[in-house]
Amino acid sequence: MSRKLLWLVALCAVLALVGCGGGDKKDETASAPAPAAAPAAPAANAGGVSGTVTFAGTDTDTPIAFSADPVCASLHKTPADTNEIAAKDGKLGNVFVYVKTGLEGKTFPAPADKKELDQQGCLYTPRVQGIQVGQPLTIKNTDATLHNVHALAKTNAEFNQAQPQGLPPFDKTFDKQELMVHVKCDVHPWMTAYVGVLPHPFFATTGDDGTFSIKNLPPGKYTLEAWHEKLGTQDQEITVGPSQTVTANFDFKGK
Amino acid sequence: MSPAKLPEKRPDRHYNFGRMNMVFALSSLGLLAVTLWMAFADYAQPWKRIQSEFRSLERQKLVKEEEAEKQRLNQNDLVQLKQQVAQAQKDLDQHHRDIARLESEVTDWKSKVYSTDSAWKGRKATADAAKFQYDNALQAGDKDVIAKRSAELERARRDLADALHAREKAETGRDDAQARLAAKEAVLSDAEKKLKALQSGVDGIETRIAHLNKGVDYFVLNAPMMDFIQPSLKIEQVILPGLYQNINFTNIDRVDRCMTCHVAANRPGFDGTDWKEPFRSHPRIDLFVGDSSPHPYTRFGCTICHGGLDRATDFARAGHNLPLLASNDPQSRKQWEETKKEWERKWDWKQPQFLDYPILPGSVAESGCVNCHASGVWTAKSDTQETGRELIAHMGCYGCHTINLPGFTGLRKAGPSLLRIAGKTNPGWAYKWIEAPRNFHPTTWMPHFFNQENNTLEVNKKRQQVEIVALVSYLWAKSERPVYTDAGVPAGDATRGKALFETVGCGGCHLLDAKAKRDDYYPVINRLHGPNLVRTGSKVSRGWVYAWVKNPKQYYPDTNMPNLRLTDQEAADLTAYLTDTPNHDPQYENLQLPAVDPRLRDELAMAYLKELYTIDRSRAMLAAMPEQDRNVFLGEKTVAKYGCYGCHDIKGFENLKPIGTELTAEGSKPLHQLDFGHVHEVPHTRQDWVYNKLLRPRMWDEGKEAVKDYNELLKMPNFGMSQREAQSVLSNVMGFTKESAIATRKAGTDPRTAALAEGRKLITRYNCQGCHLIEGQGHAIKTLFTQVLKEQGQADPDVSGLLPPNLAAEGARVQSAWLFNYLHDPGRVRMRPWLTARMPTFGFTDDKANTVVGYFAAREEQRPFLSEPDAPDAKSLAVGGAVFSMLQCARCHPAGAEASAAVGGSKGDLAPSLLMAHDRLRYDWVPSWIQNPQHWIPGTRMPNFFPETKPGEFMSPVPPMLGNPAFAAQKQQILRYFSSEAEMNAYLSDVKTVTTALRDHIWSISGGGRAPAAGARGAAPAAVPAGAAGGR
Repeated sequence: MSRKLLWLVALCAVLALVGCGGGDKKDETASAPAPAAAPAAPAANAGGVSGTVTFAGTDTDTPIAFSADPVCASLHKTPADTNEIAAKDGKLGNVFVYVKTGLEGKTFPAPADKKELDQQGCLYTPRVQGIQVGQPLTIKNTDATLHNVHALAKTNAEFNQAQPQGLPPFDKTFDKQELMVHVKCDVHPWMTAYVGVLPHPFFATTGDDGTFSIKNLPPGKYTLEAWHEKLGTQDQEITVGPSQTVTANFDFKGK
Repeated sequence: MSPAKLPEKRPDRHYNFGRMNMVFALSSLGLLAVTLWMAFADYAQPWKRIQSEFRSLERQKLVKEEEAEKQRLNQNDLVQLKQQVAQAQKDLDQHHRDIARLESEVTDWKSKVYSTDSAWKGRKATADAAKFQYDNALQAGDKDVIAKRSAELERARRDLADALHAREKAETGRDDAQARLAAKEAVLSDAEKKLKALQSGVDGIETRIAHLNKGVDYFVLNAPMMDFIQPSLKIEQVILPGLYQNINFTNIDRVDRCMTCHVAANRPGFDGTDWKEPFRSHPRIDLFVGDSSPHPYTRFGCTICHGGLDRATDFARAGHNLPLLASNDPQSRKQWEETKKEWERKWDWKQPQFLDYPILPGSVAESGCVNCHASGVWTAKSDTQETGRELIAHMGCYGCHTINLPGFTGLRKAGPSLLRIAGKTNPGWAYKWIEAPRNFHPTTWMPHFFNQENNTLEVNKKRQQVEIVALVSYLWAKSERPVYTDAGVPAGDATRGKALFETVGCGGCHLLDAKAKRDDYYPVINRLHGPNLVRTGSKVSRGWVYAWVKNPKQYYPDTNMPNLRLTDQEAADLTAYLTDTPNHDPQYENLQLPAVDPRLRDELAMAYLKELYTIDRSRAMLAAMPEQDRNVFLGEKTVAKYGCYGCHDIKGFENLKPIGTELTAEGSKPLHQLDFGHVHEVPHTRQDWVYNKLLRPRMWDEGKEAVKDYNELLKMPNFGMSQREAQSVLSNVMGFTKESAIATRKAGTDPRTAALAEGRKLITRYNCQGCHLIEGQGHAIKTLFTQVLKEQGQADPDVSGLLPPNLAAEGARVQSAWLFNYLHDPGRVRMRPWLTARMPTFGFTDDKANTVVGYFAAREEQRPFLSEPDAPDAKSLAVGGAVFSMLQCARCHPAGAEASAAVGGSKGDLAPSLLMAHDRLRYDWVPSWIQNPQHWIPGTRMPNFFPETKPGEFMSPVPPMLGNPAFAAQKQQILRYFSSEAEMNAYLSDVKTVTTALRDHIWSISGGGRAPAAGARGAAPAAVPAGAAGGR
């Protein structure tokens, strides 16, 4: 009732406003995909981190039975082992070192240059590597035999692509962070590779001499993690000052 | 008003003007105030506050998104973005021009191809004519003419070669131009996408933020009195014709207004920790509420599943219920009390008392599914309710409580038969087992009947002992006595037995783990299907185990345990593993029935006799019974009292009615019919009553033990349920309502759904998901395989190659007739010789096998029988054969187990032999599978040979491969069937053609390809291909 009473009082105001009563529809379209952005130049005062990964213990790798595929066997006159622990003179290769925390809130556009995963001599080259979210990974087969690339991704979409001899290389991208994507070949069970997908470019894989180097790291405090497929992970806190390259060494213990 | 101005008091007035005016003034002011208050109270509904709050929150969210977007665009570099847009537009124009140019180039080339082709054809005719002339001349034998004709032919051939060369050049030019055009077109579509992406982004967000601003228009439009025009704050309602709400015996259509406050329920993206109710998205927006979900808001609303008062727009009146309170968990009580306080403070909440179906707490919200899907339709991925259905089957609730709903009728008794118990174990063990089953077998489904919270009096404890002794006496007195001796059991090796147990498939249904807890396996309870085999050696003899694993049906014809077709040695090894000393428990050995107080036994027996006879007659009858007969008599009565026959076959208790309350409409039971006893600490709601009954079945006897007669005490046994288990069961029970959605919308009434429902019952009963993955659930044995490999030192073992097959597409994949035969005798063919797990023989009747076959066919909407394929053409066959070798299919699909060993492949990396394809696979399915295996079985090890270039578009790898010299032989082989390489490439570029060719080849090598007599294949038994049947 009260509404009706006051209705009269408010009538003029209403009439005055009827004309301007615009619609109030909510726009429910989903937010559009983001455009690609130009790469960010490294800050002038950027620093870096480098170091060596050492290993104490015995190399438990076993020889690979390449004989399962005559083509593979013919490519390996000398026996190769599973190379899970790529240790030489106490230095450990194939360790993935990356900035785990400290870059939250920053974004880094994906570089256009491609990373590569080659199937060569019935082994993956490289065995361990990092890639940025959205960066293309070119997968190729240099062997004269059938391989398939089965990426057992959990966060990203799993894929299983056969690559018979002669099929041109193809590109894949990962659109989410994932540590690590295990890649294997169902035809040659010893073939294993790992791809670390990160939203930033601050990662490196140790070489045969166990060294790594991450460049262009903006000054700040970070957690650095070293990942190894068999030996687990290790964390280290680092502080990078302006234009400073700090050293971070890791030591893994085997059995 | 000053008093001086007041009119003078006149004698003919008995009142004072001034005072009267004052009274009028005050009362009209009062009236105005009340009127305003009324208007305000009418206006300021709580839901408006909620909507307004959501609007602000959503705006904040968008602002954040905008920030993030800007951040992504390199620190607000919008200028650059705009340049990019302009550049993209420019590029686009350039691309369009390029494409036009290329298109005309392609046209030019095409006309060149046409003219050169015509020229070639003309020359060919000339050459053929010359050849004919020359031939004629040779026949005539005139040397001059021969020489002349020969020269002519020579010239014609040269011309022809030139023409061919010219045509090939034109073709190459055309192909090249076409390729460039295609590449350009791809670039164009990328450029178009890029432009579109650049144009939206920030702009889109800004527009949406503008919509949510609270400017002058917002306040005016939502102001009191103004809000009849077009308010942005308004009641959101949906009218649901056909979904009735019963109000005082009248069915009226529901009008759900829930989304007035639950504003974002049908919009994705309002989840995570940032969003709290009532502003969250529905957690399963893919299944419910969303427009494209099977249960859109506009057709189903909310209250049909959740309960509550549909028209209410006020928190308390809508019928919100507090979370469940578990009376045996202080943590749960604390949470409950905190929520209650908060609700009372924030919403003026009171326990809903006048609603038949108040809103159920979130933890049992899935009971809404049961309302319509009680026919046994698996409601996709509703863990709580689905697991609850399985729990009910395992715990055998329906053994005591009739549940007259399609999903819960016609089920087998949950426990094993006791008709031959005397041949299996001994009375001393049985006593100790019945007393506390979980002490022996920690994950058992058998509940505790004794030593519960209403059995605390000393005398009652003694009565229990009397009852257990009587039960055992009765069972043994009525049992058959098959003899199982240890003498005939061959010597076994426990280590080999352990390996067998861990690999052959026992672990899909059985644990052997003294420390296991049922709750650890929630919600995938398949490995709890059969008993935990810990302490087996103390329960049964070696002779019994040996006979049982060899053939379970000889002891119990209706058992679920299948036959694994073990050899004598395997059975002996397994027996050794299960019964050797490590799997014993001395506490359960050499047990005797305890001596019990005969007075108490007689007293209990008398109580039963007196129900039927006079006291004197009862006394006389008891006195006439020998000692053992009294135990047996009391035992019979005790079986009836506790309803043991609800779960076990017991002699003398065939076809009896269950002892418990019917649960068919438990979810509608009026509150006053639920006896809370003296308990006040539990909220008096239907769901809390059932929930606490499940957790503490004797709870409502609190403070009554001394008052009630012994036989009057509550009898429901204790299943030792965890809160999750109880909530799962409750999710079903609360859905057993007398009202359900009207028949037209009721799921499960068409034949397909019925076939699915019946199949699923069998799948649950025989625990197919212990080993297989069906409808995305199962592979329970994976945990065992992983654990075993971990124990062997592998850090992160990949067992995918060892798991029994994923049956995701079984109905589309295999022929019904093949599957039927296979189910009858899985030992006949070994599909995957590398698997250690063995498909057991279930001994299905034809009916059961048909139900399973029908289930798989219904699942994929396939017809059971198929017409015969036509004989393939030679071209397709040849292409298939060549591509088969190029793609190295035989690398993983060997001709047989022996062949695979010969190529040296490790057995875990193989795929089924294709020699069985013709008899086993569905003709139409094979090409589709080859094209995109991941579509059929996600995660399959069969790789994609046909790269998916765009979603839904596939590329044939064959033409580029043929360019490789390694495949020269295959190229040679195929080229024979084509007049030119271009024609061949066109043929091989078509994915469907190539996959079909591969199928034709596979068919031909597996015995098909020719058209056999109609109908022959449907009935043909599954043949055993040589070398593929690697034993059991």
